[in-house]
Amino acid sequence: MQSILAVDDSPSMRKMVAFTLSGAGYHVVEAVDGQDAYEKAQTHDIDLVLADQNMPRLDGIGLTRKLREHPKFKTVPILILTTESSDQMKQAGRSAGATGWLVKPFDPNRLIEVIRKVMP
Amino acid sequence: MAELHQEGGGGADFDLTQFYQIFFEEAGENLDQMEQILLDLSLENADDEELNGIFRCAHSIKGGAATFGFADVAELTHHMESLLDKLRRHELTPVPQMVDVLLESADASRSLLSRHQTGEQGEAPSTADLVRRIAELASGGIPDVPTRLPSQMPDVRTSVAAPQLVAQASAQPSSERASGERRLLIQIGPLEEASSADVIKELFRDIPGLGSIADGVAEDPSIRSFQVTTSASDGDLLDLFAFHVAKEQVVITTLAPDLALSTPPSGEIPYGFFPDAPGSPGTAPLPITVQAAVTDGGTLAVNKAVPSKVSEAKAGTQAHVESSTIRVAVNKVDQLINLVGELVITQAMLAQNSRDLDAAVYQQLLAGLADLDRNTRDLQESVMSIRMIPMSIVFSRFPRMLRDLANKLGKKVDLVTFGEATELDKGLVEKITDPLTHLVRNSGDHGIEMPADRLAKGKPEHGTITLSASHQGGSIVIEVKDDGRGLSREKILRKARERGMDVSDQLTDAEVWQLIFAPGFSTAEVVTDVSGRGVGLDVVKRNIAALNGSVEVDSSEGYGMRVSVRLPLTLAIMDGMSVGVGNEVYILPLSSVVESFQVNTEEVSTVAQGSRLVKVREEYMPVIAMEKIFQIPRNGSGKSSDIMVVVESDGSRIALLVDELLGQHQVVVKNLESNYRKVPNVSGATILGDGKVALILDTSSMVRRARH
Repeated sequence: MQSILAVDDSPSMRKMVAFTLSGAGYHVVEAVDGQDAYEKAQTHDIDLVLADQNMPRLDGIGLTRKLREHPKFKTVPILILTTESSDQMKQAGRSAGATGWLVKPFDPNRLIEVIRKVMP
Repeated sequence: MAELHQEGGGGADFDLTQFYQIFFEEAGENLDQMEQILLDLSLENADDEELNGIFRCAHSIKGGAATFGFADVAELTHHMESLLDKLRRHELTPVPQMVDVLLESADASRSLLSRHQTGEQGEAPSTADLVRRIAELASGGIPDVPTRLPSQMPDVRTSVAAPQLVAQASAQPSSERASGERRLLIQIGPLEEASSADVIKELFRDIPGLGSIADGVAEDPSIRSFQVTTSASDGDLLDLFAFHVAKEQVVITTLAPDLALSTPPSGEIPYGFFPDAPGSPGTAPLPITVQAAVTDGGTLAVNKAVPSKVSEAKAGTQAHVESSTIRVAVNKVDQLINLVGELVITQAMLAQNSRDLDAAVYQQLLAGLADLDRNTRDLQESVMSIRMIPMSIVFSRFPRMLRDLANKLGKKVDLVTFGEATELDKGLVEKITDPLTHLVRNSGDHGIEMPADRLAKGKPEHGTITLSASHQGGSIVIEVKDDGRGLSREKILRKARERGMDVSDQLTDAEVWQLIFAPGFSTAEVVTDVSGRGVGLDVVKRNIAALNGSVEVDSSEGYGMRVSVRLPLTLAIMDGMSVGVGNEVYILPLSSVVESFQVNTEEVSTVAQGSRLVKVREEYMPVIAMEKIFQIPRNGSGKSSDIMVVVESDGSRIALLVDELLGQHQVVVKNLESNYRKVPNVSGATILGDGKVALILDTSSMVRRARH
């Protein structure tokens, strides 16, 4: 079973994402912010990272940058969830090494659709 | 393509309602946190992390509300977020009006959320005015604040009927804006030639007033995708497109309004992948125009949270708390406490029965019993602590309340709190909240003077209300102190006489201050000569007395007033002193016992109607013979009691005549009213170590009866 690291500081969003992804047959590792995600990434086998952008302690782009420094995460798809899809945000995401972005709010079907496209 | 359609139709599988409750709780916490930071915010040098914190709260609520379909909340919080975004980017300087409008918006969000939560029908509270004010502030202006009528005050509890504007907005489906315009993603295909759909775009543009159309992202080259903003219905659009493509080839998806609010037209793409990025699907179309030259490092820094040490610690605690707490129903805890109470009684019984055993013979048994004693006590303490919650839960509501009150009255009030970590039984916290609110409001309303009056009296312009909580023995003492005008002895006495109360000039100050708690005695009349709202301090006093608590007042005219509320830490267990009268045992709440002594007959004098007084250190106090009020049969000896226990309540003392003092211990309080009925002079009962029932005396009512 493929594992997805779902990172969001909002419990309701996190539960919704986790529920959706488990329903689609993925194993979900939940993290409450970028820092927590970074720690969990060390101890779990992760096939894809789905991270909210705006979080306390470490945001989605910061997390991406840190993960990419690890050989283990050189090629793992990292998707950023964001409410703003501005060019600035995209530029920042791109230079941090994110795979792509998904604009919030999204519906569960859209989420699975995007995940299936990038899941190795 | 086929896959896309199939998945698009699978939406019914996902029932988002199961996440609503989590979202409501989370949004509530976010609103609380936002309010807290806003109230603490110093406008002159607002901390970056504070501004980011408030922003994040609004941002989280907006995201959740949009996801779960609460469009009205999403819209309001979106506007809040926009303003907060400008603040945290230092594009605007915070002004008091912003704090006001954000606090009001937080209230409005709460009330909108509670409508969704309770499924309340009818008109939603208006947010149109808030949105207008936020927008004006966000554009650098200072909006007029309309004089609010009470019915328009945002209030969580009372969902007031609102002006019509909002009713319209909220009556529409969540995806529609007030203008009736919707944002749609229209996918057409599969087409042999994607460009064949270009005619649709042209057709759309040819019809005046239909709306706007732009190219969207399509993952499949045979699918053509458009982003459309229109007020036309799906049916109308399908009819229009039918000129060029089959209706079956058209899929119309409504986009959330939030996107329209928050993203510029160029960014209206629900998702995308970066070219050459690790993990990127090679075939993905790339409609992004990344303006590398335009974006400099500065923008990156803005996006990147730069958390201070404080915030890291805060966030750390939050994450920690989340994973290390569980929510348990209160009745389960109560059941546990009850069981432990029974255990305590059984243990006491064992201890008592084993007292006479020969230590040499029963060494092991006695050691075991000693362990049991210790473990029982530890267990009891741990279990009781489950119900303990910090006073900060109560205190946290006051900054906001006082701020609103001060604004309304044109006063300047600072609130200082001490001892927020002091813990109190949950049941007591719930019951003390209203009386405390009353006292704090009273201080703000009637105690603190207008700024001009204060200055004239040589006081600082800002009045100060101090709230403190502390443990004192087995009680918690909560003080509400203000540096306002204080109480006037003369006015209170005059008022009391006007009301036909029998008061003498000889009353001590403490006794005079107690008069303000008499029914119908309004401090407003006494202190400010402002008639109108009777404040009903008698209700406050009654509620506190019902919790085995007491209220004391201290005041100095012109300098302020202090009200101390003393409460037991818990209602379930009490420190008691057991006294024997005849063959009966009674429990006195230890908190009310002042002293006990062997009485000398010459110190007791009999006054009119057989009442007796005892003189204790130059103070006379009524003597109550327990055997008389409880009609305890004497078994012939004729020996009369000669030990007195002085108990105090509300600043008055009486002496109880008893036969012997038996000891002090914690007793588990059993409610008499729910198991039997109310008995005069008795507040409850307990089971003693020997299994006998002992009555717990209601010392405050005994004092009251004796003194009046």
